[in-house]
Amino acid sequence: MNLYKYASPATFYPLAGKMIPWFAITSAILFAVGMYVGFFIAPTDFQQGDAYRIIFIHVPAAWMAMFLYVLMAIYAGIGWAFNARLSSMMASAIAITGAMFTLLSLVTGALWGKPTWGTYWAWDARMTSTLILLFLYIGFISLQSAIDDTRRADRAGAVLALVGVINVPIIYFSVQWWNTLHQGATIRILGKPTIAGPMLAAMLIMLAACWLYSVAVVLIRLRCIILEREQNASRFAEVNA
Amino acid sequence: MNWPDLSMGGYGFYVWGSYIFALVLIAWEVVSLKQRKKTLRQQQHAQQEQRSSSVSPAVLTGSANETTS
Repeated sequence: MNLYKYASPATFYPLAGKMIPWFAITSAILFAVGMYVGFFIAPTDFQQGDAYRIIFIHVPAAWMAMFLYVLMAIYAGIGWAFNARLSSMMASAIAITGAMFTLLSLVTGALWGKPTWGTYWAWDARMTSTLILLFLYIGFISLQSAIDDTRRADRAGAVLALVGVINVPIIYFSVQWWNTLHQGATIRILGKPTIAGPMLAAMLIMLAACWLYSVAVVLIRLRCIILEREQNASRFAEVNA
Repeated sequence: MNWPDLSMGGYGFYVWGSYIFALVLIAWEVVSLKQRKKTLRQQQHAQQEQRSSSVSPAVLTGSANETTS
């Protein structure tokens, strides 16, 4: 089997088209299941009351914001290093969804902060570094749209994305490195999670739903980008014919 | 199964506000993608028509004159 075949936009385009509905449907089902477990089964927290239920959207959104940034930087880097067009297009397709999840994590965080800490916003290490992540996404998107030559835009975006990756471990470890207002991690890579069963289940189901949603919308956007660039290329060929 | 307390123990604004905001963002993303696909399709059609019309522009202008007169 030739895997490189799928690295070409022309062969990838119909394949992505077939996959999108499956990702979208599974995502919708998991969102429904996650909300059910989160609101009907998970008990009220003895410390935070029902305010903690924001966790089921806040934590998955924050994780997606970080995952998608790293993924975007990897695709942008591959596109730059190996001159792989599809990889660069993938990076551009991811950026908007990543920015959206970052904004969602900031807003839900603010809405959670008000009842638990008494403030919507504080210049705490984790919040500030997440705000910087949002600016990195916005910077990537506006830098790409400001440059007309698509391959040059891809390269410039790749440099910005790769430099910005340093911010992701800063966000992740900020609660350990600095004395922050933000609570520590509830799920740890090593060791047991500090959260009850149904709460953890709801959070993980919502995370899976967010992943599948991201795959679906990123693939739709990728297909649009492939078509747009193709059209621009053919128009260019007509003008210069 | 117990129905959850819709007021969320007084935290309704924060909890529902979060989920409504998530819903708004998702709806915005899906609608804007649909719009982007639609304009792309229209552009494709326009390009194709341009190619076919460039073969016989006289026919098109002729028919246009007929409808106005």
